[in-house]
Amino acid sequence: MDQVVFESVRKVFRHRPALFNWLGRERGGETNALKNLSFSSPAGEVLVLLGPNGSGKTTALKLISTMLLPDAGSVRVTGFETVREGGRVRQQVGIAVATERSFFPRLSARENLEFFAALDEVPRRERQQRIDEVLGDTGLAEQADTLVMKFSSGMYQRLGIARALVKRPAVLLLDEPTRSLDAATTAHFWTTIRQLAEEQTTILLATHNFAEAVAVGDRLLLLQGGELLAERSIRSGESVEELRSFYFSLTQEVDKAAELTHRAGRAS
Amino acid sequence: MTLLVDKLRAILRRDLLTAVRHRTGFAMTALGLLIQLAAFYFLSRAIGPGFRPGGVEYFPFLLVGTGVYTFFVMSTQAFLSTVQEAQQTGTMEVLMTTSTAPAELVVLSSISAFAGNLFSLVGYLFAGVALFRAPIHMNLVSCLVVLVLSLAIAMALGLAAATIQVTFQKGAALVWLLSSGVWFLSGTLFPVASLPRPLAVLAKLIPITHAVDGMRMALLRGEPIFAMVPTVGALAGFSLVLLPLALWGLTVSLRRARQNGTLSFY
Repeated sequence: MDQVVFESVRKVFRHRPALFNWLGRERGGETNALKNLSFSSPAGEVLVLLGPNGSGKTTALKLISTMLLPDAGSVRVTGFETVREGGRVRQQVGIAVATERSFFPRLSARENLEFFAALDEVPRRERQQRIDEVLGDTGLAEQADTLVMKFSSGMYQRLGIARALVKRPAVLLLDEPTRSLDAATTAHFWTTIRQLAEEQTTILLATHNFAEAVAVGDRLLLLQGGELLAERSIRSGESVEELRSFYFSLTQEVDKAAELTHRAGRAS
Repeated sequence: MTLLVDKLRAILRRDLLTAVRHRTGFAMTALGLLIQLAAFYFLSRAIGPGFRPGGVEYFPFLLVGTGVYTFFVMSTQAFLSTVQEAQQTGTMEVLMTTSTAPAELVVLSSISAFAGNLFSLVGYLFAGVALFRAPIHMNLVSCLVVLVLSLAIAMALGLAAATIQVTFQKGAALVWLLSSGVWFLSGTLFPVASLPRPLAVLAKLIPITHAVDGMRMALLRGEPIFAMVPTVGALAGFSLVLLPLALWGLTVSLRRARQNGTLSFY
């Protein structure tokens, strides 16, 4: 059975200018974040969401987590519909986002995880063991008892991943999970992702990192302007360059990195 | 039930650890309350023993009035701060994706916010009695009944502030209202009977007026519960109407925020 199913999902953000708008220049209007998006993902798949800024990747993840509700269409997670059965959906989903600051600053990493584990109904007798496991997996074992207000952005991000993992979700949502991580932690994290997929966790990964997509992904969705531009498998052994050229050929964006490499080559 | 207790324990622990680790804030609040108490003590001495509102000395009248009123304002403020901080740090969105239902989470958080301020209220009253010799003639049963009903009303006010915060990002408006108009009308510093008739009628429509009145009757005059039927009835009526209404309002506002993508707006 497909674990995540999007059926003609539409999401519009409406901006109403302030009451006394003549004082400033605030613009009203609508942003069509997702336009009739449909896709599905089976158990144990790592589905990569690629696309430029504003393409709808984060919106799609937020819709699955029930942080947002769709304006039209339906989102189903492990058979439950996010609007009518939000509670059941939230029991199945873990989410980690790139801009992690969402912790209680005067609690330690362990205390934060204990708090969220209680709200996620992780059984008390398993809690400490699971917390130790995820702290180890994310390289935070030594900082377990440090107040998170003293954390760097990379450590915040690792703690965000730890929080998403501690409930052992059937569906794991990761939004640019390695953006602030060092190379060693990133490599370890990719191994963890593949292990989770082998244990039948469905993983949706929004990223701008082609190397990450190639390293962990089974399939990719390419989004642009809230629409699905392309959908295909990621071949075993596919190179970063292949994926990069596929991306830029379809999005019609200028590959600045390739341009710079080309220019550097000419200069030398 | 076990799950609920476990979640409440987690929330209480989070708030207690946060409060204790804010050492300066903790000490400043306690010091502020002591200074306030001293000011009321000297004010009542300056006015003299001839002024006995409701048949009790003025200092205990002030002690209970300001204690109960401060409890309402600080509890609402504390709960609102929890919601605002959650929006500012991004915790709000993440909390809304846990397995705990949003309404359940908010009610548990409000219990925690009010438990802390209940502790402050007891400390404030105890300091008034121990340091300034305020005479107390308590009826424990009446006191507990008034306290429980006052807690329910305080929770409703906290939830209303949270609803205004989530919907309009201006929850502080309710705290402002509590600390301006309501302060003046609720009989905190002087009896409501001293007000002109239209204002006295308006004062009766404010639940805090009845909470202050009921606590004075139970704590200072030792009134038994059957002698307090009008006050307790008013408190029960307010609780029964306000609490479900506030819960419904918050549930609707959270759903709207999810629809509009404004959960973390502040």
